[in-house]
Formats: sequence, structure tokens, C-alpha cells
Amino acid sequence: MMDINRRNMWIGIAVVAFVQAAVLGWMIWQRAHLLSTGHEVVLEVIPVDPRSLFQGDYVALGYEISRVPVTEAGLKSGSTLYVTLQKTGDRWKPLYVSTKKPENLPPDQFLIKGRVAYASAPTSAAPGQATVRYGIEDFFVPEGTGRELEKLVGQKKLDALIAIDDAGNAGIKGLMVEGKRVYEEPLL
Amino acid sequence: MSRYARRLDHDLARWREAGWLSADGEASIRRDVAGRSRSLELAPVLGILGAVLIGFGAMSFVAAHWNEMARLLRLALIFIGLFGAYGLAGLLFDRDHPAFAHAAILTGVALFGAGIMLIAQMFHISGHAPDAVLTWALGALLAGVVLRSNPALALALLLMGLWSGWEMSDTNRVHWPFLIGWGAVAAAMLWREWIPGLHLAAIVLSIWIVAIGYFLLDGHGHGVVVAIGLIIAAAGLAGPVILGRWRTWGEAAIAYGMAIAFAGLFALQFIENAHLDNLILLAIVTLALVVGGIWIGLKNNNGSLLWLSYAGFSIEVLALYFKTVGTLLGSSLFFLSAGIIVILLAVAAYRLHSRVQTSVEAAP
Repeated sequence: MMDINRRNMWIGIAVVAFVQAAVLGWMIWQRAHLLSTGHEVVLEVIPVDPRSLFQGDYVALGYEISRVPVTEAGLKSGSTLYVTLQKTGDRWKPLYVSTKKPENLPPDQFLIKGRVAYASAPTSAAPGQATVRYGIEDFFVPEGTGRELEKLVGQKKLDALIAIDDAGNAGIKGLMVEGKRVYEEPLL
Repeated sequence: MSRYARRLDHDLARWREAGWLSADGEASIRRDVAGRSRSLELAPVLGILGAVLIGFGAMSFVAAHWNEMARLLRLALIFIGLFGAYGLAGLLFDRDHPAFAHAAILTGVALFGAGIMLIAQMFHISGHAPDAVLTWALGALLAGVVLRSNPALALALLLMGLWSGWEMSDTNRVHWPFLIGWGAVAAAMLWREWIPGLHLAAIVLSIWIVAIGYFLLDGHGHGVVVAIGLIIAAAGLAGPVILGRWRTWGEAAIAYGMAIAFAGLFALQFIENAHLDNLILLAIVTLALVVGGIWIGLKNNNGSLLWLSYAGFSIEVLALYFKTVGTLLGSSLFFLSAGIIVILLAVAAYRLHSRVQTSVEAAP
């Protein structure tokens, strides 16, 4: 640092601080934009094993679309999958699964994009199965308050309100208990 | 005072008493050593440790998900902390406290990472976690390059390792993009001519090479690891001889290459559950490698390689013992072979010693 002059040093400081702040700002904008403009769908939450990672307490949410049948061989973890959702009753159900992005969907169908975590190959007798993550599996809660929510998940009383953009990116907008919105997060 | 300076201190006093050195000469040597030594000082080290603690504090704060504080306020705190840390770094550079300035930069980079976590938590983003680590690593690399900050580069390197390790444990496949990330950070360290950083880079790469043995060829790629290690060691041996320079680099390459090959051989023997005849063959190869390491270490007077080889020898012998113990025949085989190897080692050491002795006596 001694080898460059003071003015350059301050420019460097500004570049690093503003670029890093811009990255954080972009992350926030992208999410806020998705949640405020995305299509809303309601998915039933089904229980999975709760785990805990270093981001503090969170409740692990499972969905019907977390495990989907696949007919294509050669799906690897990390592959992209698209699930087409259609509204049936109050909730949205998976219609079909594809590795390519389906075009020209009717207005009552939406796409959700997922990442294969694990896939078993289809056999002649049965289709394969893929475990898929959509980025909506973790609901972060204040330290020590996860039990209550976990109980609701266990009793299958919980629905998740999901926002999806046209590319299929999804985010959790809130949680619903028996049709009523609870835990709706403000945008900021 | 470094170990070298301490030894020199002793020797200088002895040489002056013996009358080989004038008082002037001694003073000049002392000045030269003092001017060149870059001994670690306590204050900067404490500064860096403090920065690391603040970083962990920020991350724990995020993890606690403290709802008493409004979301917007928590976000604002991260942004204020980020700008505050870099601003402080600038002021400290201005006042000629570069060591503390680097600690402030490290704090800034840590707060950037905490910010990523906070945003992921606020919006329940559970997307692909390694991507978040990569974003953090790139932020650290940016700070390291633009602000010429070695601690930030070290953090960038560790984060690249975390990124790749996470990807590999997630997908169970070799994560080749690591080499690009690693190469970028290593290039920055080379540009900064930061030797300890380059060693850190070599250690991280070595660990990565050993790790890919568990993913290549359906998880049985340890043979490839051994080959890569031996190639690196051979390059370290042959390079300086052919080029006539880069001896220090060569010696480092020998040590890292041998350590990689040893780790691969260890996995072949004890993780893969080798058959007895295979095991014996591999054990002989491993012990030959270790003895070779000791020999090269002694020849080049390379203490690190010597100690690495001793450690390798102990680990290998101990692992063999646990593997063969249980049957008397197995234990007997173990003790016999270990005994023969140690004796061979002693003979080799003796011959080496006498050769060194003769060459010293033969020298004018």
C-alpha cells in the first residue's frame, strides 16, 4: 500500500466499498422485485427432517414438488428442472416435469425452476425419481422460535405463499395456516 | 527475533571471540540482518485476530436473527459497518498504520459476507449456498487486489476452498471451476510476491487434489492423486537441475508433491480396503516414498520435508499396525517388516552420514 499514492488509495477504498455494497444492494433489489411482481402460487407444505445450519435457526419446508418422477436418464445433481404448476382448488399442483423450459403456457399455469439435488435413473419398470430444490426450502425464524412452526409443518396445516417470476425463479413470500396468511414478511 | 537471527547472534559472539571477525564486521552483519528480518510483531497479529473475531461476531449476530431490531435497521447496520470498515482502513493508511488498515479491510470483507447471509436470511433465500460463498470470495479477491491486502487474499483463498468443497460434497463430482478461482487468487498472491500466501495457496491446492481422489473414477481416483503428487515432486526435483534456478520453489514442490502422493497412497491402502498382497506392495511403495523424502530432506538440508517424512513414516506404520493387528500372524508380519524397514533406514542414514563426512573432509 505504501507504493501507491494517497489519492489512488482512496479511489481503491471507494471502489471496493461501493462494489461490495452494490452486490448486496443488487441481491436485495432482485429479491424485492421478485416478491413484489412475481405470480403468487400456494403450495402445500409437507414435513421433512429438520436440520440446522450456520445461518441460525430455520425450519425446513418440503413440498409435493420436492420429489418428482423423471423419465429422462442422465439427470445429475445440479441439473436444472422445470415443473409446470396448475391451480387446483386453493392450491397449486404439479402438472408435468421437463428438463427444457416449456413455452406458451396457458395463463392458469406457471413454471417453477429447480435444481436437482439427487436423481435416480428411470428403469423399464418404473420412472426415476429426482429430489429437487427450488430455493424455497428454508424458512428462517428468530433464534429459539422454530418449534411452533415445526409443529404446524408436522400436522400438515401449513401452506407456503410463493412468488414466481416468468423465468421460474421462486421466493417465499409468506406462510399460511388453514388459508390465513401468517408470517408475511415485509419487503424491507 | 527469528530462529536464524538467534543462531547468528550466538555464532557472531563465538566468531568474534575466536578473532575471526572484527567488531566493525560484526556490527555490519547485525545491521544487515536487522534490516532484512521481517519478524512478526504482536500488534498487527492481534489486529488481524480482532478483525476475525469481529467478523464472527457479525455472522453470529445475523444467525441469531434478532427480531427486536427492524429489518431495515439490521440492513442499514451492515451497510454502515461495511463503509465504516473501509473508511477506517483509508484513515489508517493515511496515518501510516498499514497493519491496522489491513485488519480494517479484513473486517470490511467479513461484513460483506455477513451481509450476504443477512439478505439470504431476510428473504428466505435457500438457493444454492456455494454460489453465496463464491460471491463472498470474489468480494474478498476484489479487496485483496485493489487495496493490495494480503489478509483479504488469504480469506479469498480459504473461501474458494470452502466453495469448491461445498460443491463437491453437494454434487459428488469433481468441481473443476475451483482451478479458475484458485488460479485467480494465486496469481494475485504471485503478483504481490507474498511467499506465505503462496504456501497457503499450495496447501489449499494440495488438499483439493487429495480430495478429488474421492470423486474421480466413481470415488476410486486415489491412483490419479498419487500420480499427480509424484509428477509435482518429480518436477520439483528435475526443474531446478534443468533450469539451474528456482531451487527454493523446487524444494517446496517436492514437499507438496510427496505429501499429495502419500495421502493418495494412504487412501489406497486404508480407505479402499486393499487386499493383503496389494497392501504389502502399496506399503512398500509408501515407505520407499517416505525414505526418499527423508533422504532428499537430509541432502538438501530441508527441515520441513524431513519432518513431513517422519510424520508420514509414523502415520504409515501406525495405520499398518492397526490394519494388521488382530491376527498374530498379521502382527508378526507387521513387526518384521517394520523392523527390516527401520534397519534399512538406519543403514541408509549411516551411509549418507559417512558420505557427508568424507565430502566435508575432502573439501579444502
